[in-house]
Amino acid sequence: MTVRRAAAALLAIAATTGIAWLSTAPTDFLGDAGAAVRLSWRVDGVPVEACRTRTEEELAALPVHMRSPLECERTLAPFALDVDLGGRPVVRDTVFPRGVRGDRPLYVFRDFPVAPGRTAVSVRFEALAADGAEGVPTRYRWNGEVQLNSGDVALVTMGEDGQLELRTPES
Amino acid sequence: MRVLARLDAAFNALYGWRWNPLYHSGALVVTCFAVLLATGLYLLLFYRTGAPYASVAAIDAQWWGGRWIRGLHRYVSDLALLAAVVHGFRMFAQRRSWGPRALAWVSGVVLLGIFFVCGWTGYVMVWDAHGQLLAAEGARLLDALPVFSEPLGRAFTGEEPLPGAFFFMNLFAHIALPIGIALFLWVHVSRLARVQLLPPRRLLWGTVGLFAVVAVLWPPPLGPEADLLRLPATVPTDWAYGFWLTASRGVAAGWVWAAGGAMALAALLVPVLTKPRAASAPPPSWVNPRYCTGCEQCYEDCPYEAISMVPRDDGREGTVGLVDPAKCVSCGVCAGSCAPMGVGPPGRTGRDQLAQVKEFLAGASLGPGDMVVVGCWYGATGSTEVAGARVFPIGCVGNLHTSVIEYLVRAGIGGVLVAACPPRDCQSREGVKWFHERMHNGREAELQERVDRGRIRVAYAAAGEARVLRDALAGFRAHVRLLEAAPGEHDFNVGAECEVEETAT
Repeated sequence: MTVRRAAAALLAIAATTGIAWLSTAPTDFLGDAGAAVRLSWRVDGVPVEACRTRTEEELAALPVHMRSPLECERTLAPFALDVDLGGRPVVRDTVFPRGVRGDRPLYVFRDFPVAPGRTAVSVRFEALAADGAEGVPTRYRWNGEVQLNSGDVALVTMGEDGQLELRTPES
Repeated sequence: MRVLARLDAAFNALYGWRWNPLYHSGALVVTCFAVLLATGLYLLLFYRTGAPYASVAAIDAQWWGGRWIRGLHRYVSDLALLAAVVHGFRMFAQRRSWGPRALAWVSGVVLLGIFFVCGWTGYVMVWDAHGQLLAAEGARLLDALPVFSEPLGRAFTGEEPLPGAFFFMNLFAHIALPIGIALFLWVHVSRLARVQLLPPRRLLWGTVGLFAVVAVLWPPPLGPEADLLRLPATVPTDWAYGFWLTASRGVAAGWVWAAGGAMALAALLVPVLTKPRAASAPPPSWVNPRYCTGCEQCYEDCPYEAISMVPRDDGREGTVGLVDPAKCVSCGVCAGSCAPMGVGPPGRTGRDQLAQVKEFLAGASLGPGDMVVVGCWYGATGSTEVAGARVFPIGCVGNLHTSVIEYLVRAGIGGVLVAACPPRDCQSREGVKWFHERMHNGREAELQERVDRGRIRVAYAAAGEARVLRDALAGFRAHVRLLEAAPGEHDFNVGAECEVEETAT
């Protein structure tokens, strides 16, 4: 009976401490990642307007107050995203505006693992159709080198001046 | 089922069936929920959404209170998940997940999901590296859904400091989700009568006390503060809530959703997948209005509230029992409760049992020195014979009509050992409890005074406890040998003994 009780108590203690250990188990999430270059920004986009002239039949079918001779669809242009790290291309991609009709802002949000140390970073983000985009930025670039320690994240983001800039844990 | 039976037997050997935590897994989840509410209310007093990490650090600095209360909150939340999984596995292994029990199963799966989400919001509240991991990974997964106009993940890139509104929303979710837990818990048990929400006191306070001691001696460490421009390195991680983190990071969000969705769908479809074919499904009980006296005992005893009393339509006064087939799990407890034997699943009413025991005795040629084990289908009996004693199988001892025992004893059998499952392991929930009441406390349909109690014994033996049953049988056999040979009454008239006067119209 005493042995049984001792075994029961031991099992209860082992189970409880086991649960407590699993609740706080040190786990390595960094692994081989080392450090990362992160791209994160939002741009309102470059408007693109596609217009066509309505036919006489189409105009007649519309209410009088809506008979505009031109029918225009306003969307935003997609952007090309090119990223080079350490002189090697890592991304050649197209970023599309969000929304079902493609008229919502564009978001870039990506992480690239890099080895700690000095890394050359080149980011280009350019509108693929810039017609009729007077006064709207169509090209964003950031080139430079970053010095990263283990676990650091270098963030390329949009600065207050509307240009890409770099932020690091030290900056 | 075999794994569960062995685990049950091992835990019974250590803790006894009264305090076997596996039998109380569902009640332990409710206990954990109550502890989480109590400790959570305390922690809420000191938590600040404007300075989440600093306020948790301040709680941790309360060595006399906050530190161990936070530890207890955390450890008990893990126990809740573990107990919920064990509870679900029990119900699955015991095939108690389909038909009328489908609602309980589905609501249980939803409850488990809410527990997970509530736990994740709790860890994000702390805003240490573990919380940062959960928040960033959760946002990445949510961004894969075509729901949000702006990606949630951008909030965790380090572009801007996280606003206090985020922590307020998170806190709101962490407080609101337990309301959902309470709601679904109500749904979960809504088809049960006399719900036992808490385990026995010794198990309840023993569990809470043990976890409180561990929380005092080994409080959970506070991880490094979240820094969105740092990659979390070695982080104290809760594997109960964050087991998926190491696997999901680096995998496309679509695949994570597909895997999680497939698991959730499989869990939700268990009632459909485990439902037996119509031919092999046990039929629901029915009431024979000819024999029903309207005494309401079956209505009182039904563990699933499947019986209601309705006005008679046969010209007699009073009410008659009516079984709702959509709620009846065919446990047969009503058959054991009905003195005039007018209710039960087809083939398992008291009358059917008496006919079966008569046939059993006729084919067995048993005498005063022989033993009969009346064994539950789901218990330890298992075969047609146990250590030289013939077995009379029964769906559940709660299904067993006491007249069967009387018949066996008065027929001259040496002894009748009723092999019941441990009460908290009863497939019919309350079958063993009502059987005990009928045997010893005069509950309808009670064992008559005229029956020699010395020749009846009840043994509690779970499916994996064949040895317990054999030992009980050996002890009972030795006891019976001391008794004089029982006088035979093979001319016992079943019909005359069991017919009730007022129903003989």
